Amino acid sequence: MAPPDLKQEINAAAVEPLLPIEKKLIGFSLGLGLGLLVVLIAINHFVPIKL
Amino acid sequence: MSDVALNVSEPVALKARLNEDWLAVVIGLLVFALALASVRGTDLLGWAVTTSVYTNLAQALNPFAKSYAWLGGGGSLLTTYAALLVLLSAGVVTLGADVRKFAMAFTAMFAIAYASWIVGSYAYIAAVTPAEQQKFGVAWSLKLTNEGGFVVALLSGLVIANFFPRLAGFLNEAIRPELYIKIAIVILGATVAVTAAGRLNLASSLLLRGAAAIVEAYLIYWAVIYYIARRWFGFSREWSVPLASGISICGVAAAIATGGAIRARPAVPILVSSLVVVFAVVEVLILPFLAQTFLWQEPLVAGAWIGLAIKTDGAAVAGGGITEALIMAKSAAEGIKYQPGWIIATTTTVKIFIDIFIGIWAFILGYIWTNRIDKGPDKARPAEIWQRFPKFILGFLLVFAVSLWLATGSTPEIAKALPAAAGEANIFRVIFFILTFFSIGVLSDFRKLWQQGFGKLAAVYVVSLFGFVIWVGLLISWLFFSGFKPPLAS
Repeated sequence: MAPPDLKQEINAAAVEPLLPIEKKLIGFSLGLGLGLLVVLIAINHFVPIKL
Repeated sequence: MSDVALNVSEPVALKARLNEDWLAVVIGLLVFALALASVRGTDLLGWAVTTSVYTNLAQALNPFAKSYAWLGGGGSLLTTYAALLVLLSAGVVTLGADVRKFAMAFTAMFAIAYASWIVGSYAYIAAVTPAEQQKFGVAWSLKLTNEGGFVVALLSGLVIANFFPRLAGFLNEAIRPELYIKIAIVILGATVAVTAAGRLNLASSLLLRGAAAIVEAYLIYWAVIYYIARRWFGFSREWSVPLASGISICGVAAAIATGGAIRARPAVPILVSSLVVVFAVVEVLILPFLAQTFLWQEPLVAGAWIGLAIKTDGAAVAGGGITEALIMAKSAAEGIKYQPGWIIATTTTVKIFIDIFIGIWAFILGYIWTNRIDKGPDKARPAEIWQRFPKFILGFLLVFAVSLWLATGSTPEIAKALPAAAGEANIFRVIFFILTFFSIGVLSDFRKLWQQGFGKLAAVYVVSLFGFVIWVGLLISWLFFSGFKPPLAS
């Protein structure tokens, strides 16, 4: 079983505000991810699966 | 217990995890090498036990090769057990395990897990087509195929974990799902190569599409789940990183690797790993059947979706196996007979692609955390990329490359004999899948996890999985794999 303080910590931890670097990480990841997805969809369109 | 642990007081032993990876490579390569001997006419593994669908239990078990028929079903089962006991006992010595305890626990585990597999092959559970039902003289069947035995093994483990805690404790030393699935994945390299050799164009097309899985898991899933954990549920950074990694990338390995990279306390990724395993159990019990119902006409979409939706390698790849069996059974009932191997190969490709980048992603997070968030003397180092790289993938790639070369670049005689050799190795892949499913079940003590304060962590998982991961995974699988089907069996 987990130490009691860990359980309490999960349920009653003080909120840490998002830092600018975290916002950048989230934004950059999503932007890059969606961009790459569009590129891959284009590749998928022009280079279809060969049977 | 492997790196999937419920005891949060245990430290995260990165070294032990890496040793487990290498051990999986060694055992997987050994099985592959012994199986390959049959290509030259020396059958070293033909004694391995196989289970057929049955109504008469006496006819259920047989040795793989006819040349070992003299062993009988019981003899081949005992031989298989003894060989695995010796091999794994020697292996876990290198992990610092208590061999005597392991041997006793493994004996009990193998007996229960393989008995579950045999139960799953009973015709009333496994027979699929009307022709099969007629052949076995059964009026009805659950139509789970004989791979329904995986589900029976999982349920057996769950029952033990939740109703027989003392037995679960006794089995503990042998409950190593990560080790078993890594060995299975190394061995699977041969089957995937033999499958791919027949259709190299299709196989290379699947590889290209594996890149979509990386983008989805690391850049889209992770960012959204991290945001949900931080903003909607108020988790700290230390909890949110392993949580987002566990839910979005590949479960246990990712939670532990990224937790270590940001210098989280060891208990945090361990607890998250437990959560991932529990949800993997739920997913394995549901998603393959949903795939059979709604995606049976798009088998490769189903395979990719399972790889993207189910976290932890074990549950995902084994879930791909169940999905393949269910979809092939349904297709066969409709008069379509696909070549086996393509659906599980798609699931495995997706998982392997995702796994490859764990080390790099952990380093990126570690670099940001140790330089920009929790600045301290312990900075992330590039060497950690290699340290956290899942080494069993090297074993899979080696087996895949050697098998592919033998299938396409060697003599016609060897190429012709290779599928049988891969099939012989595949017997052990199936057995390690069975052990994985059973082990995952034994690890899933729901009451214990609830006592550990799982409610809020589970809420993040439920919101992310059912509100986002499953649907985006389905969309991307559909975008990249729809309209393309496995080759038909000749």
